[in-house]
Amino acid sequence: MRLGDRGLLLTWLLVGVVVVSSLVGSEMADRPPLTNADRVHDLASDFACPVCQGQSLGESDVPIARTIRSTIRTMVDRGRTDAEIRSMLVTRFGEDIDYTPRGDGLVGLVWILPVLVGGTAMTGVVVSIRRWQGRSRGGSTTRRPVVLGVVAVVVVLAGVLVARSAGDRLAGDTLSGDIRSSTRTLLADAGVSSPDEAISIYSRVLEIQPSNVEALAYRGWARWRAGADTEGRSDLDEAVAVDPMYPDVRVFRASQRHADGDHAGAAEDLVALDGMEAPPIVGDLLAASRLRERIATGLAASGDLLVALELLDSGLDARPDAAHLLAERGWLLVATRSPELVLRGMENLDEAIALDPLDPYGLAYRAVVLATVADRPDDAAVDLTRFTGLAGQPADLVDLLVVVGLLAPQPTSGS
Amino acid sequence: MNPIRMTALAVGLVLGLLILVFATRDTSRDRMTTHLVGAVAPAVVGVTLDGSEWDLDDQRGRWVVVNFFSTTCVPCIREHPELVAFAAAHAEADDVRLVTVAFDDSPSAVAAFFARNGGDWPVLTVDTGRVAVDWGVIGVPESYLVTPSGHVAAKVIGGVEMDELDGLLTRAMAAIS
Repeated sequence: MRLGDRGLLLTWLLVGVVVVSSLVGSEMADRPPLTNADRVHDLASDFACPVCQGQSLGESDVPIARTIRSTIRTMVDRGRTDAEIRSMLVTRFGEDIDYTPRGDGLVGLVWILPVLVGGTAMTGVVVSIRRWQGRSRGGSTTRRPVVLGVVAVVVVLAGVLVARSAGDRLAGDTLSGDIRSSTRTLLADAGVSSPDEAISIYSRVLEIQPSNVEALAYRGWARWRAGADTEGRSDLDEAVAVDPMYPDVRVFRASQRHADGDHAGAAEDLVALDGMEAPPIVGDLLAASRLRERIATGLAASGDLLVALELLDSGLDARPDAAHLLAERGWLLVATRSPELVLRGMENLDEAIALDPLDPYGLAYRAVVLATVADRPDDAAVDLTRFTGLAGQPADLVDLLVVVGLLAPQPTSGS
Repeated sequence: MNPIRMTALAVGLVLGLLILVFATRDTSRDRMTTHLVGAVAPAVVGVTLDGSEWDLDDQRGRWVVVNFFSTTCVPCIREHPELVAFAAAHAEADDVRLVTVAFDDSPSAVAAFFARNGGDWPVLTVDTGRVAVDWGVIGVPESYLVTPSGHVAAKVIGGVEMDELDGLLTRAMAAIS
C-alpha cells in the first residue's frame, strides 16, 4: 500500500471515529429527568395532543390534554416506568400520537428509509469517485473494500442519526433546540408541578418575559395561597395592570380580595370578568367555588345590598341559566325582611327552581322561606324532601336547615 | 450502469415504495373510529347524579351504549334528543341501556341540563377524566356500543342519531347471533 493510500485510509478512519464519538457524545449529553415534574414534562412533550394541530400534550391546554397530563403525573407519582406510561398512551390513543415512532411494522420505515436512501446515495457517490480516480490515475483496487466498509459505517450511523432526529422531533421544535426553555413549555411544566416548584418555574418565566401575565397571575395566586400575602397581592395587581382582560387573574384577585375582606374590590374584578370572553371552565370554577355568592353575601352583610345585587345580576347577564345565582339573589332579598323585597326574593327562588329543579341552594332557601316567612310548612316539606334526596348536599345548607329546625341535627362522627 | 442512474433508480424505487405504503394505509381517522373496537371495554365506574354507584361490569348480559358528553359541547346538545328518543324506544324491551359520562363538566350543570332536556339514564360526573383516558376519548361527543360480553362492538366519533345507533345495534346483534 502506498503512502498516499494509507493517508486516505487514515482520513476515512478519522472521519469514522469523529462521527461515532459525536453520536455517543450527543447521546450521553441528554440530561436525565431530575424530578417527577421533569419526567411528566418529558413524557408529555413526546406525545401529540390527540385533538390539536401541531401541539404536544405538554403544550396544549384543551381538556383532554390536561386530563392526560394529570394521568401521566399520577402514574409517575405511583412509580410507573416511562415504558409503561408510553405503552398506556399508545394503547389508549393509538400510535399516531407518539412523536417517537416504534421500530417495527410500517412505522419502522421512518427509521429505515433515511438509512436506505442515505446509504444508496453515498454508495453512488463513492462509486463515482472511485471511477473518476480510476480513470485519472489507474488506482489500485486493494483498499476498495476497506474504504467502502468505512464509508458504509459512516453512512449507516449518519442514517441512524437522521432517523433519530426525525423520531425525536417535538412539536414546535426549533433549529436552535431551545424548546425546553421556552416560556410556553415552562408554563405547561408549572401547571403540573407542586406549588413550590411552580413558583420557581413562574419566576424563571418572568426572568425571560417580565410582563408574562400568565406567569404573574399564577405565581401571585400560588404565592398568596402559600402564605406569601404581600408578594402574592403584588403579582396579582401587576398582572391586572399588564392585562386587565386576562380572565384568570380576575378570578384569583377576586378570591384574594374577598378573603382579605375587600368585598367591593372582589366584586369589581368579577364584574370586569363578566365583560370578557372567558373560557367556560372559568364560569364552572366560579360556580363550583360559589365565590360570587360568597362575595355577594359579604357585601350584603356589610350593608352594600345594591352592590351585591349588581354583582349577581352581572353574573346572570353572562349566564342567564345560572339557577344558583338567582337563588342567592332571592335569598338576599328575603333576608332584608322588607315585604316588597321578600316578595321579589320569593319570585327569584321560584325562578331558580324552575331553571334547575335540583339546585340545592334554591330548594333549601325556598324551604326555609316557606317555613319561616310564608308560613307554608307543607310546601316547605316538599322542597325539603327534594333537597334531602339530593346526593352530596352542601354542608352549609344542611347547617342552615338544622339551625332553623327543618332538619334534625346530624350525628357527629364517632358518636 | 452509470452510477448516477443507479442511484436515481434506487432512490426512486424507495420513494415509490414509500408512497405505495402510505397511500394504502388506513387514514388516521379510520384508525380512530376502529380504535378499541373488538377489545374488552375499559372500566366505567362512578357515582351517578342521584348518588348511586354505577359499574359497567354490572351490566354484563346487556347491551350498553356508553356516551361521552359535555354540556358545553354543541354537537352533544344536538345529539341529546336523539339519545332521549333512543332510550325511550328501547325502554320497554330493555334490550339496551345507556350511560353518559360527562367529561370536563360540573355536576350541577349536567344535572340542570338533564332536568331541562330529559334523559333518565345514569350520568357519571365525578372523576370522569380517568374514564375518558381509559377509553381513549379525544373529544366529545363519542359513543361506544358494548356487547353483553363486555366488548366494544362499535365506536362513533361525533354526534349520533337514533337511526344510526339502532343500525349499529341491529348489526352487532346479528353478528353475535
